[in-house]
Amino acid sequence: MYPGILLFTILIVTFAMATAKRITALISAFRLQSFFLFLVTFYMSLGSQNVELYVVCAMLFLLKVILVPVFLRSIVRKIKIEEGLGLLVNPLLSLLIALFLTYLAYKFSGLILGSKSSTLSSNFVVSLAVTMLGVFMMACRMKAISQIIGLLVMENGLFLLAATVSEGMPFFVEIAIFFDVFVCVVILGIFVYRINRLFTHIDVNKLSELKG
Amino acid sequence: MLVFLILLIPFILALVSWFINKVSLLSAVNILGHFFLGCLGLTLAYGLANTRIPLDMHNFFYVDALSGFFIFVISIINFAAALYSKEYIEKDIEDGHILVKKAKVYYSLFNLFSFTMFFVTVVNNLGFVWVGIEMTTLASAFLVGFYNDKPSVEAAWKYIIICSVGIALALLGTILFYYAAHIQVGLKSLNWTDMLAIADKLDPKVLKIAFLFILVGYGTKAGIVPMHTWLPDAHSQALTPVSALLSGVLLKTAIYAILRFAIIVNKSCGSGFVTGLLLFFGLLSLAVSAAFILVQKDIKRLLAYSSIEHIGIICFGLGIFGPLGVYGALLHVFNHAMTKSLMFFGAGSIVKKYKTHNMHIIRGVLQALPFTGFFVILGVFALAGSVPFSIFMSEMMIVTAAFLKGSYTASVLFLLFIAIIFAALIHHFSKIIFGRKPENMAKSNESVSSKIAILFLFILICIMCFKVPHFLDRLLNPAVAIVIGA
Repeated sequence: MYPGILLFTILIVTFAMATAKRITALISAFRLQSFFLFLVTFYMSLGSQNVELYVVCAMLFLLKVILVPVFLRSIVRKIKIEEGLGLLVNPLLSLLIALFLTYLAYKFSGLILGSKSSTLSSNFVVSLAVTMLGVFMMACRMKAISQIIGLLVMENGLFLLAATVSEGMPFFVEIAIFFDVFVCVVILGIFVYRINRLFTHIDVNKLSELKG
Repeated sequence: MLVFLILLIPFILALVSWFINKVSLLSAVNILGHFFLGCLGLTLAYGLANTRIPLDMHNFFYVDALSGFFIFVISIINFAAALYSKEYIEKDIEDGHILVKKAKVYYSLFNLFSFTMFFVTVVNNLGFVWVGIEMTTLASAFLVGFYNDKPSVEAAWKYIIICSVGIALALLGTILFYYAAHIQVGLKSLNWTDMLAIADKLDPKVLKIAFLFILVGYGTKAGIVPMHTWLPDAHSQALTPVSALLSGVLLKTAIYAILRFAIIVNKSCGSGFVTGLLLFFGLLSLAVSAAFILVQKDIKRLLAYSSIEHIGIICFGLGIFGPLGVYGALLHVFNHAMTKSLMFFGAGSIVKKYKTHNMHIIRGVLQALPFTGFFVILGVFALAGSVPFSIFMSEMMIVTAAFLKGSYTASVLFLLFIAIIFAALIHHFSKIIFGRKPENMAKSNESVSSKIAILFLFILICIMCFKVPHFLDRLLNPAVAIVIGA
């Protein structure tokens, strides 16, 4: 069975991201995750006569497997930060939290889907778990770049959800979302440069000029 | 046609701003453009008030009375902000804070920002509503981080990150709506009109969970507590005309998005679920903002927390539901936009003059800036909701609706928080307005354009004082009917 193994790989890669300690490892894992996401959507559009589906696949490959990782890597190289991610939660605990979130996703899918087919519910569980792990990464990693990646992981999870559970969003909406995400990443990247220049670090938890 | 023009003008202005090198001409072109846009907004709203037939174009644009009302509010505030920008930007260049090149960037982003807000209110497809709301964040991010110093970059970073996470949750909600409509019923579109048509066939259980995500997601953008943490930072660090836009209309576009989804959910599973949530979050926002307003030192943060308060009031009104409650809430959208923009303009001039946000240092505004001081003190009474100003009217409607419905505990809490905030606002502002100005500070006068901006908003507040104008009343009634699904 195709998607089973692909979906499972996506989940494993996401777990690896939750426990990663270095920024470069996180970016590579993100690229891998996007690649498997691409495989899932490509597999699903195989056999279909609909050109739109292939366009979405191509966009996904171009943006998330090539452009975004290259862009993130160039930021890391240019601002010369140290490699560590600044974990607020250590890797072992992160793994336990990741397992717990996956369990929550499983419970939650039962709530929404009731007793539907197991393929649908496993799609649902993996997508939701990936989304929640994205939120977790944003909350518990201190470097600005890891927050960007957390946001991208969330987007990947949502894309997977839309693709597998509701057969993709309408075509133009999908394209517009890609565009938005890409612009968002570029803008965030520009702000990482600015934070680095002004504060000489990119530790988000040390941004505390504004209070009250 | 009108709708195309409303989208086209800010877009053209954004492009044109790149090619004008003279700042005074740049401001003039923008004021003129936004004046024209305001007229178009008025025409559109007037047309919708008269015909009551929604404009539907190629299934892509859908403009009914509810959208018309929001377009009307956005176009007015845009015009006022463009007027006020003239002096603000020219002064910034004079003082050497920014270069002429940056003024071009400012006007370009300003118009892009207005374009995205108009876009949200005219599209039919709920996916595009999401795209539009995300674009509002992206267009305004650089306006928040405009001065490129530590506090503004920090504010901008928090703004994009928190709002993007929120918006991502709203996307999850939208996907679940689509799941309910597409997989379970077989609808192949995300259009609001199509969704509403089959609303009673949708699975209420899925819709309820989806709406939770929508409320948390778009609620982040609307500044509902506890998702409001980006708001005081962004509002206080943005350029003043942009603060007025953020507070006056950006928050309202998020409320608009929530309303569109709420209408579908209400039709599918009754109004109890949505209204209960809105009532709870409305009161929570009021309570938290009251606490922060009491202890605030920074004048722009104070106004930002007051925006959270007013969003709370709007949610409370929508939560009370019923024709009167929703009418009051929508009217409050209008009144708050006018009053808060006026206050931000006043606060902006004060901050420029005293070069500090700290209200313990600012003294004697009435002596130093007589015109601004006079209108700020009137504005603060209007903002706090004292008789006879327009905010009092809409708050009265909401409280009356709450009492008529029999929600006594909620009404009493509502009145309590309003009273606390009233006292706190008057206390803070009377200290800075009256008293003696610093010895070495000269009395100065504002430029004509910002005076006109403040007067224009003040006149709109006064018009609404005793009676809702006939035209607005006829626009609001069908809008209310759409919200309550009558």
